[in-house]
Parts: sequence; C-alpha cells; structure tokens
Amino acid sequence: MIDEGLRNELSRQGVVTTTLEELYNWGRKNSIWPLQFGLACCAIEMIAASMARFDIARFGAEVFRPSPRQADLMIVAGTVTKKMAPQIVRLYNQMPEPKYVIAMGVCAISGGPFKEGYNVLKGIDRYIPVDVHIPGCPPRPEALLHALMTLQKKIENQRLTGQGRPRHLDADAPGEFPVPDYGAHDLEPPNNPAVWRPPPMTRNE
Amino acid sequence: MKLGPYSFLTLFAVAGVVFALAPLAMAWLWARAYSPRKPGRVKNANYECGLESKATGWVQFQSQYYLYGIVFLIFDVETVFLLPFAAAFKGLSAGACAAMLVFILLLVEGLVWLCVKGVWARK
Amino acid sequence: MQSLEQLKARLEAAVPGARAEIVPNGSPAGQPSLLLDRGHGRAAAEFLRDDAELHFDYASNVTGVDWPEKTVKERVKIKKLVDGTEREAEEVRERKTGGYLEAVYHLYSMARKEGPLIIRLRTENRADRVALPSLTPVWRSCEFQEREVFDLYGVVFEGHPDLRRILMWPEFTDHPMRKDYVEPDDYEYEPTPHGEVLARARRHYPGGTAA
Repeated sequence: MIDEGLRNELSRQGVVTTTLEELYNWGRKNSIWPLQFGLACCAIEMIAASMARFDIARFGAEVFRPSPRQADLMIVAGTVTKKMAPQIVRLYNQMPEPKYVIAMGVCAISGGPFKEGYNVLKGIDRYIPVDVHIPGCPPRPEALLHALMTLQKKIENQRLTGQGRPRHLDADAPGEFPVPDYGAHDLEPPNNPAVWRPPPMTRNE
Repeated sequence: MKLGPYSFLTLFAVAGVVFALAPLAMAWLWARAYSPRKPGRVKNANYECGLESKATGWVQFQSQYYLYGIVFLIFDVETVFLLPFAAAFKGLSAGACAAMLVFILLLVEGLVWLCVKGVWARK
Repeated sequence: MQSLEQLKARLEAAVPGARAEIVPNGSPAGQPSLLLDRGHGRAAAEFLRDDAELHFDYASNVTGVDWPEKTVKERVKIKKLVDGTEREAEEVRERKTGGYLEAVYHLYSMARKEGPLIIRLRTENRADRVALPSLTPVWRSCEFQEREVFDLYGVVFEGHPDLRRILMWPEFTDHPMRKDYVEPDDYEYEPTPHGEVLARARRHYPGGTAA
C-alpha cells in the first residue's frame, strides 16, 4: 500500500498510482449496464432519467440491455405482482455475477400504495438481495441518479479479498436464489428467509 | 541479422494475435485467482424472458429451404468462373467477352425461371 | 333514447319467455339497470344488438358484483287490528336479500350514439350454481372482461371460448373480489401501520411491540 501523501505528490506531478482493487472497482462502477426492467409507472421516470435532460449516460449506464445475460444492474421499477415475482427471480438468477439490484419506488421496496392488494408482492427484497432502495412514488429521475451514485460508492468500497468481499467473489455465498412457486393461495414460499428478515416493529399504539 | 521481406509482416501478425489474446488471457487468470465458479440450474437455463423454457431450440427446419441451397451453389460456381475472367480482362479479345456474356445470360435465364416459378414470392 | 320501461316492454315482446326487471339505483347519479333472466340472457343480448331501433353494438364494460346474504330489517306500515279497531301500525319485518353473484354489462350504441344501457345477469347462488350464459359470442369485447369476472368472482360463463384466469395464476384457488376472501397473511413488515393494518401486523409480533 502506498502512502497517501506520496500518492498526492505523485498525482500532482502527473503520475497516477492505483491498486488492483481500485482499478477493478473503478472499471466496474463506471460502466454499470442496467437491465431494461420497467414494470409500472416508475419505468417512465427511469426512461426520463435516460433521456437528454437527466442523462444517465454520463454515468456509463445508457445501454439498457434487453437480455439479462449482458446486464449487471437490475432496476426494479414498478409494482411487483405475485404473478410476476417468479419471473423476476429467474431473470435475476440469469444475470451473470457481479450483479446489483436497485429497488426503485415504494412498490418495489414494500408494496407501496397497493400494499394490501391480493396480487401485490410486498417488496421485491423478499426474494432477491437489494443493494439500494429509492423511496418515492415515483422517485424523480434525479433520485434514480443519486441511487446510481450511491451504488457506485458501494462498489468502490468493495474489497477483493477478505471480509468485505462482494457476493460474486465469495465461494460460500449462493450463486442463485430459489424461485417461488405458484401456490393455491399465495406464492410458496412467501419470502426467502435467507434474504429477508422482517425488521422489528417498534411502534406501540 | 538480415531482415527478410516478410519479417515485418510476421512481426505484425504475431503482435495482432497477441493483442487479441492477451486481454482474454488476463481475464482468465483474474477469474482463476478471484472469482469462484457458481453455476446453477436456473442460472444456466435458456433465457426465455423469465419463464421456464417449454422445449429446447432444436426444431426441424422445413425442407423447402433446399431451394436456397441449390441457388446459392449455382451462383457461387458462376462467381468462381467470373473471377479469373475479371483478373485477365485486359488481355482478352472481344470474342472471349462475348462467350462470357453468353455464360452469364444462361445463368440469368435460370434466375428468371426461378422468379417465374414463384420461388422468391412470399408464402 | 327510449325509456327503460319501453325498452323492457319491447324486449319482452321480441324475445319469447324473457323476463326483465328494472333494478333502481338509490344513489344520486345512479342509473337504473335492467335485470335479465338467466335462461334468455343470450337471446336478449342478441335482440339488443340486432334490433334496428336499439342497435347496442358495443359492450364497453363487464364487471361483477358479489351480493352476500344479508338480513334486512325494515319498518313497514300495515293496518293491524288492535283492540277491535283497525289502526295503522308499524311493524318490523325481516327480509333476506342477496346470496348471488352478478355480472353487469354496460352497453353503448356506437351507431346511434346512445347509451349506456346497464344490464345485469344473476347467478342462483354463491356456492355451486354460479353459471351464467356468456355474452362473448354477442359482443367480442366481453371476452377478456368475462375472464376477469371468472377470475375474481368465480362466475362460470357458459359458451365462453377461452375461460381461464387472467389476473391471478392458474394454480390459484380463491376468488379475490368476493366479500369472504381471506387474504394471505404477509404483513410482517409495516413501516407506518395504523388501524386495521396495525392489528394484522401485530399478530406477527407476540407481545405487541418489538419482536
């Protein structure tokens, strides 16, 4: 590891030094390719973020891939119905590692305004691990860009070896997540306990 | 060291191959060092927009496609004959050009026959 | 446009055996609807579409209603013999309503720019005799909407070309829009619960507060 002071001195003289980890993360975070995954109204805001005014292309993310095999970010934008949930999990499994998920809008976080619907899955993080959540109904395109920048910071801080390894470098982490089945009354299982544990409710009325 | 006429060519050919293969080799080494392999049934399945594929992609193609094969063969052979004619064009007499024209017209007549037969029409 | 009574009379005259009933609607903007009997539903619909004066050629909406059985108490003024003299008195009578599913169709006439005419078809009961004639052969736009009524209410449309669930998945067994539908209990996480949702969420946390 090189000393910070020496590093700054060298960069002032025009010499750039880096570590393998930084280089790896820098390449990955500046070229995140999202999977075209608009489900409902948040998709319109996602499209707006890719247009000229908000311009997600500045961040290297303008190529929205139609196939999961070529994508590394899945922006779940819109309400997730229970009928659609197994397909989302299958698509997530078919993305090659390293892959990230942004849950855009309250419907993808927790079911949103349609939470009590009979066909609404109360949050996509019941089945797949979500990296960034964006609240909003719908969140503005700037909020999506902020989420992208947060994800970039998260990628920047991922280690190559050791404790803070991302999932794709860890041999013990699961490679794919189980796809829920269509049951008689609900999806089976209703959530994935390895991925989602309900946070404790602290309101006491 | 005596530099032969083909030495630069060889050098650039080798450099081109190395330039193409080096990133692939580096990626392979990186994957061996850092990324463990994690295949899975759903991960390696055929992509079908999130649904389970009902069958594999091996279907029986229609035998009507044989016509395309035959047409390609004929016109490909014609092209092979046209190439030496084109290479030696400057030194040939008018009679040779006329003979070649007859050859081409015979094959065009075959093409017209195919059009009339309706091979190119949309089914 | 003809009034509903005239339409009812014409319908009963044209389709032998058909019985129609005008169902009033108590709300301020409510429109009265025409209740057709089940056996002649298809014939009545064809009359409404093919008649030269009515020409209802567009079914814009098909929806379902679930009327569970309800006992209604009403005060009725009757004449009763009290102590030898006839007097007017009020009596509380009980009346059972409901116990059926309904399919409600909104019909418009594009040719004559008239409408809407609202017709209803009622099933026998909510449990096993839930069949109704399908009006898809009469108006094509009923196809998907009758599938939705089948999916969410359980009404079986006889004569429908492709009757299967449209919103829920095929292995689903309940009918979510019925009044006695019990939804699955996945209310473990509630960010800002209140009222009924709070009660449902509390059931997952024995003790009432933090898990």
